[in-house]
Amino acid sequence: MKLTEEEKIIAVETTQQILAGVDRQNRGQLIPVLQKVQEKLGYVPQVTMEKVANHFAVPAVDVYGVITFYNQFRLTPPGKNQVKICMGTACHMRGAHIIQEAWERRLNITVGETTRDREYSLERVACVGCCTMAPVVVINEEVHGKMTPTRVDGLLFAHQLDKQKAKEGNADNEQ
Amino acid sequence: MSNNNAVAAAAFAELQETARESWERLREKPLILIGAATCGRAAGALSLLEEVKNEINRLQLDANIIEVGCMGHCYAEPVMVIYNAGFPAICYGYVKEGVGARIVRDFLTEGDPGIEFALAALEPNDLFPTFADFPRGVHENKIVLEQCGFIDPQNIDHYIATGGYAALVKALEMSPEAIIETIKSSGLRGRGGAGFPTGVKWETCRNAPGTPKYVICNADEGDPGAFMDRTILESNPHLMVEGLAIAARAVGAEQGYVYIRAEYPLAVERVTLAVQQAREKGLLGNSILGTGFNFDIEIFQGSGAFVCGEETALIASMEGKPGIPRHRPPFPAVSGLWGKPTIINNVKTLSYVPHIMKNGAEWFKSIGSEKNPGTAIFALAGKVINTGLAEVPMSTTLNELIFDVGSGIAGGKKFKAVQIGGPSGGCLPETALDTPIDFDSLTGAGAMMGSGGMVVLDEDDCMVEIARFFLDFTQKESCGKCTFCRLGTKHMLDVLERITRGQGRPGDIDLLQELAAKVKAGSLCSLGKTAPNPVLSTIKYFRDEYEAHINEGRCPSLMCKDLIAYYILPDKCERSCDACVGSCPVEAIHDNEDRIKVIDQKKCVKCDSCMVACPPQYKAVVKLSPPHLVQEKEKEYREGKKQWQKK
Amino acid sequence: MAEKVTITIDGRTVSAEAGEMLLWAALDNGIYIPHLCADREDKENPAASCRLCFVEVQGRPVPVPACTLPVSEGLVINTRSERVDGLVAAAFELLMSNHKLDCKNCPANGNCELQRIAKERKLRLKPKNLPVLERNLPVDNSVAGLVYDPNKCVLCGRCVRACRRGGNAVLGFTRRGYDRVVTTFGDVPLAESGCSGCGECAGACPVGAFSVQK
Repeated sequence: MKLTEEEKIIAVETTQQILAGVDRQNRGQLIPVLQKVQEKLGYVPQVTMEKVANHFAVPAVDVYGVITFYNQFRLTPPGKNQVKICMGTACHMRGAHIIQEAWERRLNITVGETTRDREYSLERVACVGCCTMAPVVVINEEVHGKMTPTRVDGLLFAHQLDKQKAKEGNADNEQ
Repeated sequence: MSNNNAVAAAAFAELQETARESWERLREKPLILIGAATCGRAAGALSLLEEVKNEINRLQLDANIIEVGCMGHCYAEPVMVIYNAGFPAICYGYVKEGVGARIVRDFLTEGDPGIEFALAALEPNDLFPTFADFPRGVHENKIVLEQCGFIDPQNIDHYIATGGYAALVKALEMSPEAIIETIKSSGLRGRGGAGFPTGVKWETCRNAPGTPKYVICNADEGDPGAFMDRTILESNPHLMVEGLAIAARAVGAEQGYVYIRAEYPLAVERVTLAVQQAREKGLLGNSILGTGFNFDIEIFQGSGAFVCGEETALIASMEGKPGIPRHRPPFPAVSGLWGKPTIINNVKTLSYVPHIMKNGAEWFKSIGSEKNPGTAIFALAGKVINTGLAEVPMSTTLNELIFDVGSGIAGGKKFKAVQIGGPSGGCLPETALDTPIDFDSLTGAGAMMGSGGMVVLDEDDCMVEIARFFLDFTQKESCGKCTFCRLGTKHMLDVLERITRGQGRPGDIDLLQELAAKVKAGSLCSLGKTAPNPVLSTIKYFRDEYEAHINEGRCPSLMCKDLIAYYILPDKCERSCDACVGSCPVEAIHDNEDRIKVIDQKKCVKCDSCMVACPPQYKAVVKLSPPHLVQEKEKEYREGKKQWQKK
Repeated sequence: MAEKVTITIDGRTVSAEAGEMLLWAALDNGIYIPHLCADREDKENPAASCRLCFVEVQGRPVPVPACTLPVSEGLVINTRSERVDGLVAAAFELLMSNHKLDCKNCPANGNCELQRIAKERKLRLKPKNLPVLERNLPVDNSVAGLVYDPNKCVLCGRCVRACRRGGNAVLGFTRRGYDRVVTTFGDVPLAESGCSGCGECAGACPVGAFSVQK
């Protein structure tokens, strides 16, 4: 996925803002800084990794090593709606793979991908600790329990309705 | 020092006074508690909260509503408690939309407690049973979970009013050596999984040369199927904060960290707030309560790596590196964060500490068994009826926990196994149900205490598949540093995958066992050393299931997708009902010449929708294994029809 | 100067510096212990990742990696035992199941640590019980005179350390688990990574994953 010029500029500015005032000697801040960038942008662009490496005086490949090691970090922008399927034991035994396939079929992407309109991205997450509500899906920050393939359809439909409503409501503000 | 003690005691008495006032003020009016931990929220607790608030405003009632954590009855979420003068406090469960408003209205305006929605009363009365009157209550002994679900986790006054931070004040009056002695003689063992004696760890750290020293709370609860730490932090974060401060005092640390996984946003929020409130009250920060003891806490968010639950990996991650374990010794208690003496304790371990300081080592030893004192906190999930959190004395048996506390298996199914200890643990069968729950007995049986995740499995769960699931997990979560874990688990996973796909070969079980033994013996850290446990325990107790997969291409539990096919029983299909047809996402179901539904096996994606959709009075959709049984059944049907037509 | 201690390895009494890791004490006394990830320039921070240098230590319940064991007076070591041989054979077979075996065309042929281990411990280069896991990663020959074939890499990390000492610190470990790999920032070819072409990596690589082209 190629970034637009605008996205690149935002990435540089955001990184600089977050790095401002962070102690260069304190490598313990390296991961928190990357987390803050991801919180703002939804992913960690290459230029951020270079700036962070420079700031803490570590080889850039080590920052890349950190980003590719942890599940949390993304190298590409996520969809506007992040659908995360819980892969905990309880969810698995209650059919998380069936739910995953239902999402894949409906969104026409596989896990780890973003829809072409960047509206949805699909991920698997480690146990979110809602085992009693299995199987669980987290959409953005909201936890949905006791999922079924039909509820997948329902959630998507509700989302699309909301979007349409928001569009109609904000038609004036948007432009 | 004694002068300092007097200052601290006076300062704390003042805090207690304020806290008690605000706590008592709450109870002057009817009080409504709504369980809004993550599990409650997933079941709609926040809309319940909204609904109850609106109803109270609408009726212009005078009542207090507070958002609390989870009291462990997750199966009945959303949960609500009402304290109304003249009645015992009542806990309501399954409070669905509309029900909350109704209970509140009836109870607060007409004095009708709506007992048809009540789970139990919270205090003895002659109206309604309490939790203690059910089998669950007989076994439960809440220490760490005592206040969870009954106090507002966002209000430090609630914690102080119910006895909180008194243990810290006591610890401030004691010498560090005396604190360590108390913890040592209490016999407290680390609840992170291995059960190492906490007091010994603290002593090692205290005696290790080097300053500063650090204390870290490990809240990187990564076991899939475990949610105890999340619940404790969301429901009563101050308990851990107090425990960590006592640990700091004992080992001589001025800086503490709480390492919480980022997948627990609510817990992060609650702990951050708790630390801030404790700081404002002078219970953290410079010269705590005027004693001259400095201690503060920072939150570090884990970025999603199961291996970071391992101490040295956790430290690497805090130092801005990938979470890759290193060889021990040196142990972190000697050389940890930034090479300084560091203790890392699990959330639950630290949560026992204030209680032990308050009630004494003897009290703690009187609970549980000699070598395993105290309680065990388990997250019950899977096919058990009462999913949720349970705290029982150590050496309660698995049987009691699953069938009394958990009320047995849901849906009238048959118990098959219980998976304990997550990816490091194992599956125990029915014959092992008498095993007492403690560190040593569980390890002896081939499982592991782990951090306390317990997933109950029934006859529909395939044991080869569960082994594959866990190995897939550890293999993906392996840091990849050492040969055995990186490649050994990969080969084991490949073998398990081919077995669950029906391509198992003779000798595969032996190969798995050989690899497992080597990975256990040769791996660098405990992730690798324990990764083979789920495989070894399922082979030990459920070898026949492995053999059915390998020798017959059959999954006895009808779970492995490649080894099953969906089939509609012609004599059960109602014909004119189209429930299955509508539910199928790929249009694989059509009518045959007799208007009986038939599944096109080539199109079927085995999504289970038709089986769910088929009305329970027909139950016409079944799973067959091996899948070629479908052709046989279809042939049988055609031949049966011919015979019938001849007649 | 550190104090000298006397230790016993395989019945032989040898003298070593106190606190030195056993692996080096043994090697310096002409006693071979298989190893890949151990780095003489960085003895104090053993990676202990290859899991090949296991030895028996008298008084210890299980074999210990020799690269992590500081020697002390009176230490009694056996470099061979049934348990040690089992572990070494298993680790070696695992590594060989993930190593592109092409000795005939490999620049390290005759000077390869894997060949040496196989010879010393009488192990097969070709795995017997395990299928070969092919990685199919692209070979990087973008820098003149240097070839990196990640399919041969055993992830010992010696090139990474060497690159930091003598090169521009362009190499590092990324990803995790089975996907762990030695690569550059953003996985770009070496020529685009700031690599100076110094060849320190090739000098450090024990198996011919990094090699200097003649």
